[in-house]
Amino acid sequence: MKQNKNLITGWILLLFAAALFCLQLTYFFAHAKYQVEYTDSRLFYVVNILCLLFLYIGLTLLLRKLTKIVLGVLAALLLVQIGLLVHMNKEVRNITSISPNKHHVFSVKENLKSGEVVYYRTHYGIFARPKEVLPNKIIGEVKVEWLANDIAAFTYQTTDYKIDHFVATYGDRKNGISYYNVGPEIQGVWKGNGVEVVSNTEGISIKENSAAELFKWEDIQQYGTLAVVLKRKNEPIWTISLNENFVVHSDSTEPLVGNISLYKVTMEQNQPETLRFAQ
Amino acid sequence: MKKWILSLSGGLVIGIIISTIMYENQTHVAVPQSNLPKVEQENAQQNQTNGLRPVTYEQISYSLQNEELNITYNKGEDWVRVPIEKDSLFVGEYNGSKDELIPGSYIFSDARVGFIYGTDSILFKFSRDHGVTWQEGVISKNFPYVRYRKVDFLNDQFGYAVLTGDRTMSQEFSAVFLTHDGGITWDETTTPPSTRIIADGGFIDENTGFMSYGTINPDKPDLYVTQDGGQTWHASVIEIPEQYDLIFVQAELPIREEDHLSLLINQGSNGDYAGGKVKGKFISKDNGLTWSFAMEVQPNEAE
Repeated sequence: MKQNKNLITGWILLLFAAALFCLQLTYFFAHAKYQVEYTDSRLFYVVNILCLLFLYIGLTLLLRKLTKIVLGVLAALLLVQIGLLVHMNKEVRNITSISPNKHHVFSVKENLKSGEVVYYRTHYGIFARPKEVLPNKIIGEVKVEWLANDIAAFTYQTTDYKIDHFVATYGDRKNGISYYNVGPEIQGVWKGNGVEVVSNTEGISIKENSAAELFKWEDIQQYGTLAVVLKRKNEPIWTISLNENFVVHSDSTEPLVGNISLYKVTMEQNQPETLRFAQ
Repeated sequence: MKKWILSLSGGLVIGIIISTIMYENQTHVAVPQSNLPKVEQENAQQNQTNGLRPVTYEQISYSLQNEELNITYNKGEDWVRVPIEKDSLFVGEYNGSKDELIPGSYIFSDARVGFIYGTDSILFKFSRDHGVTWQEGVISKNFPYVRYRKVDFLNDQFGYAVLTGDRTMSQEFSAVFLTHDGGITWDETTTPPSTRIIADGGFIDENTGFMSYGTINPDKPDLYVTQDGGQTWHASVIEIPEQYDLIFVQAELPIREEDHLSLLINQGSNGDYAGGKVKGKFISKDNGLTWSFAMEVQPNEAE
């Protein structure tokens, strides 16, 4: 009875190992054809390690008299995979973050030799394709904050000791087909806890602790259809994003529905401020 | 059974070894290529560092991406930034795309690249060393709301610029400028006595130049010639055969052919004779003063 159980478990583990290897083959095919990579470059070795572990345990369950050579080869391969995984950390810095609702994965990779930073668009969680090269190289720590389930704000310090900011968006607040500009959609006065945002034809002004600053439209950069970054002398200062309850109407005369968030661009830990429409 | 299990395991182990070697040889931080056609992908690969794409597939080309003007001498492999504000390239009356330069407003050759730009003054900035150093000449100070702009060089030193501006309906002011020092100083010549909208203009040697007018429903070509470097202009006499009357109506810039000059006259934008693209070829043996009909030219021959 126990022998039968071992046999079944052994075969299942062997099939798991084969399935993981098929996943690797799928990766190579997708990489060659669509420039697909793993969301985190180390995942390749993790999959291999799991595959070898399943193989190792499966074989010991299926074949009692397994030669030491076979086990030795598997153990050696396992060690090589672990070594390569650790070594990958010296080549690539993988910055990943999963959205609060687990539907999206933010992925940025930094080539530690060239300093190049690339934003990846993820597919099925574990696969990703390079989408955009970020303009500045990273020095030091980075910060990822999800402003909504589909908006990730990425803040990092650049090599010239300035702060840069990138917003990854994964959704839409209209019909998912047509493009719209965030600035005009939030036209009006928005109020939060001690802050006020006014969007009008001149630009967007932010009033914090009774001090107001106007950011003209030429200093405002939109990301996707969900967020805008307000810049002073080309340095990002604020990010305004559309909350999930915000509805973009086709008819601009309809009243605004939903909230927006105001997020200060800083390396310090901070939370976005939710604002409601005032007038 | 044991044989099967070992074969499967052996296959997996070999597969893992090969795939690991392949993965190690891959680039782990790739540059986006998006779903561009293959030729553009190749160019995108070439421009990994800045993402610039040449507007044309010529050896010397340019890009107006990122709100700046960059030029390339090797189809996009390397780029040189031109120290000109993008908007100043489209100064005056211009409603076209700002993703491409205004035709005629620039020259690209291995020996020289140059651009007409400006604000109130119209300037010409050029480089003779592949963008390492740049020189600038003022073509015209306080030119009124420039519309048409064209610059060309016939040799290393001699070049011309044709500008028009201050347009009201179908009338505008036109001016011709010449340089004899490669583009640093420019002198305005006299201009023909016409205020019609310009069709084309230019010089074919240091003394002989032409100005062709009439783009809005022209009924006959309106061509002027100078044979003394722009000091005096004369209306060219074009003998149009009766059957081509009201058909060949807009003169292009003549060219020199052996011992005579050759002029193509097209049908304007509304022409419908033989498809509207056929042009009339005219010959002048007195350096542009009088022209006589030679033949019809099919569009592919005329190009």
